[in-house]
Amino acid sequence: MTDPKLDTLRQTISTMLAKRGQPPEFADEDSLFDSGRLDSASAVSILLELESVFGIDLGDPDFDISQIDSFAEIRQLAQSQG
Amino acid sequence: MTWNIAHRFEKAADRHPDNLALAAGQTRLSYLSLKQLAQAVAAQVKPALRQARIGVLGSRSIEACTAFLGIAWAGGTYVPLGLNHPDQRLIALFELLELDALIVDRAGVARLSPEVRQAAPDLILVPRDEPGTFAPLDSEPLTAELPVSDHPAEVGPDHLAYIIFTSGTTGMPKGVMVNSRSIALYLDAIHPWYELGPEDRAAETCEANFDLSLHNMLTAWSAGAALFIMRPLDMVAPARFIRAHQITTWLSVPSIVALMRQAGGLSAGSLPSLRLTWFCGEPLSAQAVRDWSAAAPNSIIENFYGPTEITVAVLRQRWDGEGPLTRERGIVAIGTPIDGVEAIIVDAAGQPVPDGIPGEIVLAADQCSQGYFKLPELTAEKFREFNGRPGYLTGDRGYRDHTGLFHHLGRLDNQIKYKGHRIELEEIDARLREAAEAELVGTVTWPVSGDVVAGLAAFYSSGTLEPEQVRARLRQLLPAYMVPDHLENLAEMPLSSNGKVDRKALVAMLDSREQARAAS
Repeated sequence: MTDPKLDTLRQTISTMLAKRGQPPEFADEDSLFDSGRLDSASAVSILLELESVFGIDLGDPDFDISQIDSFAEIRQLAQSQG
Repeated sequence: MTWNIAHRFEKAADRHPDNLALAAGQTRLSYLSLKQLAQAVAAQVKPALRQARIGVLGSRSIEACTAFLGIAWAGGTYVPLGLNHPDQRLIALFELLELDALIVDRAGVARLSPEVRQAAPDLILVPRDEPGTFAPLDSEPLTAELPVSDHPAEVGPDHLAYIIFTSGTTGMPKGVMVNSRSIALYLDAIHPWYELGPEDRAAETCEANFDLSLHNMLTAWSAGAALFIMRPLDMVAPARFIRAHQITTWLSVPSIVALMRQAGGLSAGSLPSLRLTWFCGEPLSAQAVRDWSAAAPNSIIENFYGPTEITVAVLRQRWDGEGPLTRERGIVAIGTPIDGVEAIIVDAAGQPVPDGIPGEIVLAADQCSQGYFKLPELTAEKFREFNGRPGYLTGDRGYRDHTGLFHHLGRLDNQIKYKGHRIELEEIDARLREAAEAELVGTVTWPVSGDVVAGLAAFYSSGTLEPEQVRARLRQLLPAYMVPDHLENLAEMPLSSNGKVDRKALVAMLDSREQARAAS
């Protein structure tokens, strides 16, 4: 089952990659930030989307920012709030 | 006496073997573990040493740090290449450098396209599963144990410790060569006033190919302190990182402060663990230092100045709560030279000028670098003897005031700082000429907010190519941070009276458009 909100997020990430001159395709397990494919401005956009669309509390002291390095991690985080 | 820069780490590891030396993500390495990993890297690269230059394709990782120590341990020259060069530029660097080996971290592995691999040295070490360990790419694991050296290789004071590349006006970056003596003099000069100890917890805020990263590693590892690597995502929320790891000492570029302010992560009293902050690499605005001071009430704040060419930094100024400021720019003064360094203001003829008169800042010190790699003419132009010591003409404008403090007024040329990176606008121009197939091109900083460059805009005159085509080509030629945010094909390029592209006119055009937009 696919979640339309996650599909939108995947599309957003593809667009960000393309904007940075990267191939827009990525696998769920691919590193997006540690690998240098996306930059910190992209990370801020993704975090804002996680907050506004998925209701993730970024102010939670347990929130670990390094857990959004791959789409699989982002999905896990998004679904944990569902 | 040994001049090997790994020697200070070794002494700290002997004194504090169980202390935390390095942390990244979930991985924690003690001094003893890190020493063993560095020894293993040294054993792997030592048989390949000819020119002694070893490249590191990586940044902000356990592997990149282990590679740095291992190369030093083996007596090699560390050449951090970072991760932000596009393939063509990386290949050009390999051709220039004639590396004996290349060490790659996990992010670097993704950069090994067939073209890059072909240009790379024969020996490429790639990460194994265990953090900080490597295996040769495409080779069978060795069955016999490699001989491990208990101590760092003996090297002399003139041994080339590292080469760091910085933007060059010709379109190719230039490599600054720093020897072991320079690093030792630098560390000895700054030690008395920072006094890092085994209880300290430092943050690695910088990319590996920026020399401030060497400051962070070497000051922490000379003292038995812990170094926490900020991975790319950690850079999004530095305040969170400082709190989570109870960071006590911090050195970064000031633009991080603006980022934190925007993200709302810099409230008063929110960073109580910090006891010492250095800002370096860019002008430190009075506003940034006040915000930081309020957020980190227990921290001393030092403004630190110096180009890579003079070995990390050479002038310092402690913030006293109100200043001292360089009033003309609303920034903190760059202060006075550290031990062993002389700063001189000279006129266009290279003659010293009296206090209060602006001129070029010249830095003379035994810790001066050896010049630019394979660029003897540029080295002769920029590096000259002053008062009997090696000196460097910085290209920075400044003056010394009547109390003896030095102030920074800007550049004499088109070198700029953008997002913490040092960029020669001519380097972008050179690549834009190629990408746009245009003779007339001009890159400017725009918009500029106060003293801070907020964007790059570039123009070219070419009948055929659209900006998006040019942008796609530029991405193949320059790191992402150097690709202008605004690209425009101009039918008529403004020229100055001597026939050069008039950058001021380009800025004026952008300003007037902006004003017209705001008015409508």
